Amino acid sequence: MKLTDQFRFVRQNMKKNKTRLFMTVLATAMGCSFLIVLASVGFGLQKSIVDKVVGDRLVTAIDIYGIESVKDINRIIGKENLDYLRSVDHVKAVTYRNYVQQSLSPTVEGVAANNNGVINVDFDAETKAGFGLSAGRLPQNPNEIVVGFNIRESRDGKQPKENTPPAKEWLGKVMNLEVQQLAEDGTKQKQTIPVTIVGISKQPSREWQTDTMVYIGNGLLTQIETFTQTQWGAIRPPKADKDNSDQPPGNQPLGLQDPRQYNSVQVIADGANHVKAIAEEIRLKGYYSHSIADELKQINLVFLIMKIGLGFVGTIAVLIASIGIFNTMTMAVTERAQDIGIMKAIGAHPSAIQRIFLLESSMIGLLGAIMGTIVAYLISFAVNAGLPIVIKGFMNENIPDDFRFSMIPPSLAIVSCLISLGVALLSGSRPARRATRIDVLRALRRDL
Amino acid sequence: MIEMNRINHQFAIGKKGKERVIPVLHDIDMQVKQGEIVAIVGRSGSGKSTLLNLMSGYIRPTSGEIRVAGQAVTSLSEGEWANFRLAHLGFMFQSFQLIPSMTAFENAELPLVLKGIGLAQRKKKVMEMLEQVGVAEYAGHYPGELSGGQQQRVSVARSLILNPPIVLADEPTGSLDSDNESQLLSMIQHLNQDRGTTFVLITHDEQVASIAHRTITLKDGRLLNAYATGGTLVYETH
Repeated sequence: MKLTDQFRFVRQNMKKNKTRLFMTVLATAMGCSFLIVLASVGFGLQKSIVDKVVGDRLVTAIDIYGIESVKDINRIIGKENLDYLRSVDHVKAVTYRNYVQQSLSPTVEGVAANNNGVINVDFDAETKAGFGLSAGRLPQNPNEIVVGFNIRESRDGKQPKENTPPAKEWLGKVMNLEVQQLAEDGTKQKQTIPVTIVGISKQPSREWQTDTMVYIGNGLLTQIETFTQTQWGAIRPPKADKDNSDQPPGNQPLGLQDPRQYNSVQVIADGANHVKAIAEEIRLKGYYSHSIADELKQINLVFLIMKIGLGFVGTIAVLIASIGIFNTMTMAVTERAQDIGIMKAIGAHPSAIQRIFLLESSMIGLLGAIMGTIVAYLISFAVNAGLPIVIKGFMNENIPDDFRFSMIPPSLAIVSCLISLGVALLSGSRPARRATRIDVLRALRRDL
Repeated sequence: MIEMNRINHQFAIGKKGKERVIPVLHDIDMQVKQGEIVAIVGRSGSGKSTLLNLMSGYIRPTSGEIRVAGQAVTSLSEGEWANFRLAHLGFMFQSFQLIPSMTAFENAELPLVLKGIGLAQRKKKVMEMLEQVGVAEYAGHYPGELSGGQQQRVSVARSLILNPPIVLADEPTGSLDSDNESQLLSMIQHLNQDRGTTFVLITHDEQVASIAHRTITLKDGRLLNAYATGGTLVYETH
């Protein structure tokens, strides 16, 4: 018997009692939906608490402190080290932060910025790592920069002065950076580089922290270094006056031809689950590193147990729905006993009859699973949209914008559908076996 | 075509442990040759339907051996019997045994579906067969919308659609009026002549028995020799 014909039989049979079919599918859908929604709470809270509250980058970042050398820890990380780190499997990006070694006196429309320094970052890597912005975007051209969230704040003691205008008002404005260098003859040379502010960094998570940095990319750094002819725009120390000198001449800064040194190097993994493997691999190569992921293991374990618990409760709901499927299929076999008997009498193979009933119960399971999944997604969406409003209304608490109470990853939807399908097949298996055992003679006598 | 050797059959009735055994058939030896129309006659309770059920594989004999189309069928499993029925046997029933939720077309089509024959071929074959038995115009009708005669024709179409070498018929005219009975018997005769189909007919109707080449009579579960000659039944003790 062909599969298409088996489907035709199933379709015909399902049409016979639409109300009962609908109620059974509804029960299965409710069970499946309950399972998905319950488990989605575990996924949502884990995602929000671990990944968002602690921060994506914090979880996936590995701080590199230095590299082992023969004598001691060699804290200098060079370009070849960065290249190696980038080549490690599952490394999404390698970031670094180096101070430009002069103030650059940034001004916007003649107003001096409350600036604590200029930092060179690799914006390509930062884009992948998830550089936190409160407004604007990351630079795409050499003459574009990002400024710190608190760059316009001036402080009165420890408290910021009131009525500080927000930094985002500076978005799109031109900031003048004044690069200085001492010439060979000791004369001071200056160059003003106009740059455009395209992004404002994220507000620091701790109240006492401020970000008043200016973040510049590699293109702008090259312009600065071309002028200063030193690494990181360092200013040459003044030459010692041979005749009248109290102090020895200062150390000469590194020139552009010298090997570069990178500070605050971070390796960003492409997922929290790869952090441990990356850390172990680079540790074997002699790198000293630390990651917060080690401390998050316990939290993840708690969430794993929570998800298993919620999934277990949800599965019980599906099992309760399976009673409905069992009942429906048993009724179907009883109602169709004569038809089955006739089919057997003229040569239907018992396995074909069993397949038809198994197909019918799996169709019920599949329909229920599809309906349940759609409903679960709707509930999840409604919960994520509605709960923050309810919490704000009743408790006057603000929930972060990207906080998720419920999250349904595709794997959860697929596993739940498979569970529903499996339970439906299991529920249908006994009635299906019963159908194959129907006595032909009793069925023909209409004695069943 | 069909051979039964020393067939005994008994039913057990009553509760488990307190069953009462009722013997139904005793030492049945009989043969049906290819192309024959054989009528099995006898009074009610003589065991004729049981004999047909044994040939159909719906029940198994308590002892003895049955061969159908050259194959020993006594020890076949249920699945093997299903395949065997589909390949070799056609069935006509007194109460037609059409599936009420299927149209005449779908009922007649059923053996082809069970055999896994493609849709296009099925359509052609079923329409030809319904045409042959004279109910093509009712193809889309459900059994409840057909008369007894029309239902039996659909049943005949279903039993012959796979062109089986043997057709087993249990009181095929039992629910028909005399006109429809005559038409069905004439159809059976034509099929026997044209296709060489072997028919085993269970009946207690003399008119049905009259078309048989040979009549086998059962009495109290035992076989008597009897031949239909000129429409008169003559019993001879075995």
